[in-house]
Amino acid sequence: MPASDPVAAPDGAEPVPDGLEFVLRHLRSRKPEYGDLDPDFDLIENRVLDSLGFVEFLYLLEEHTGQEISIDAVSREDFRTIRRIRERFFR
Amino acid sequence: MTTTEVAERLRGDRRFQDVLGRLVEMSERDYYNPYRLFDWPDSLPDDAYWMTPELMAEHGTDVWDELPEPRRRALSKWQSINFYSLNVHGIRELLHEIVARIHTADFDVPSEYFHHIIGEENEHMWFFAAFCRRYGGKIYPPRSLRLAGPGIAGADHFLVFARLLVFEELVDVFNQRMAGDDRLHPTIRKVNEVHHQDESRHIAFGRQIVAMLHADLRERLGDGELAALEDYLKGYMRGSVASLCEPGAYRDAGIPEPYAVRRRVLASPAHAGYARRVLRRTESFMVNAGIFRTGLPESAKE
Repeated sequence: MPASDPVAAPDGAEPVPDGLEFVLRHLRSRKPEYGDLDPDFDLIENRVLDSLGFVEFLYLLEEHTGQEISIDAVSREDFRTIRRIRERFFR
Repeated sequence: MTTTEVAERLRGDRRFQDVLGRLVEMSERDYYNPYRLFDWPDSLPDDAYWMTPELMAEHGTDVWDELPEPRRRALSKWQSINFYSLNVHGIRELLHEIVARIHTADFDVPSEYFHHIIGEENEHMWFFAAFCRRYGGKIYPPRSLRLAGPGIAGADHFLVFARLLVFEELVDVFNQRMAGDDRLHPTIRKVNEVHHQDESRHIAFGRQIVAMLHADLRERLGDGELAALEDYLKGYMRGSVASLCEPGAYRDAGIPEPYAVRRRVLASPAHAGYARRVLRRTESFMVNAGIFRTGLPESAKE
C-alpha cells in the first residue's frame, strides 16, 4: 500500500477504524465485480453509490461514526471516494 | 424525448386538456387560506397516539410486541414528526421539479395547472413544517441524495413525475386513513384531511401525465430499457416505505440501538405485509397503466 493510502496506512500507524471496515464491506458487497475498491475509485461514477442505495449507506455511516448526518451539511463530493469518506467522517 | 415530442403529445391529447381544465376549476373553487384554517393548540397530549398505530411500520413486528404501550405512543409521536418531515422534503423536490418545467416549451399545456400545484404545495409544506416545529421542535433532516438513476436517455420527465406520483400516492394512503381516525387529536386529523383533499387533484394529474409520458417511452425504448425503468421505480417504492423507519425517531422515543431496531423492523415478515398494503394502490396503477409488467416481487411483499 502506498504511504498516502488513508484506508490502510503503513506500519499500523493509521489502522482502518472498525466502523470504516463495516462501511467498506457494505460498499464492496454492492458491486463485488470491482473487487477491493481502490481508495480513489469513483464510487458515484461507477454506481457503487446510487440514488436508491444511498440512504442505507448513510444510516450505516451514521451508526459507525456515531454522528447524525444531515444532507444539508454534506455534499456528494464527500462520498465520491473511500479516501474522501474516511477524511470527512472518520477523522 | 425531444422538446417538440413532449409538447406535441400533451397538446394532442384532448382528454388530458379536459382533465387539466377541470382540475384548475376545482382548485379555484376550493381555494382556502391555510394560514387561518387550523387550530394550533399549544401542545398535543403525549399519552395519546399521534399516528394510526396500524400505519406505523413497526406494527405487528417483534419490535412492536416488545414495546410497552406508553413507548408505542411515544414512538407514534416521533414517527408522525418523521412522516411530516418526509412530506416537507418531498414537497421541496416536487416544487423544484415543477418550477423547473413551468412555462417551458415542453410543458406549455399544463403550466396553468402547475401554478395551482406550486401554490398548494407551498401551503402544504408550510403546515407540515409548522406541525413539526410546533410539536416536535424540529424537522428531521433530509436523508436522500440525488445520485445516478437508471441512466436512460430521454426518460427524465417520466422519472420525475413517476417519483412524485409514488410519493403522493403513498402519503395519501396515510392521510386518508388518519383523517378519519377518531383516536387521533382533531388537529392531526385536520392536517391529514386538508392534505388529502388537495392531493386527490394532484394525484389525478400525476396519473394522467405519468401514463402519457410512459406511453411515449414505450414507442421509443426497447424492452431492456423499459424493464430498467420498472426495476428502478420498484426500488424507489420500497425505499420510500423504508424511509418511514427513521432511526432518529427511535432515538427520540427513547428506544435504544435505533439502527439495529430499524434493521429488525425492515427484515420482519410483518413489515413485508405492511409494505404491500401501503403500496397496493401505487402498484395497481403502475400495472394497469402498463408501466409495470408485473407487480412488486413477492420478497418485497411478504
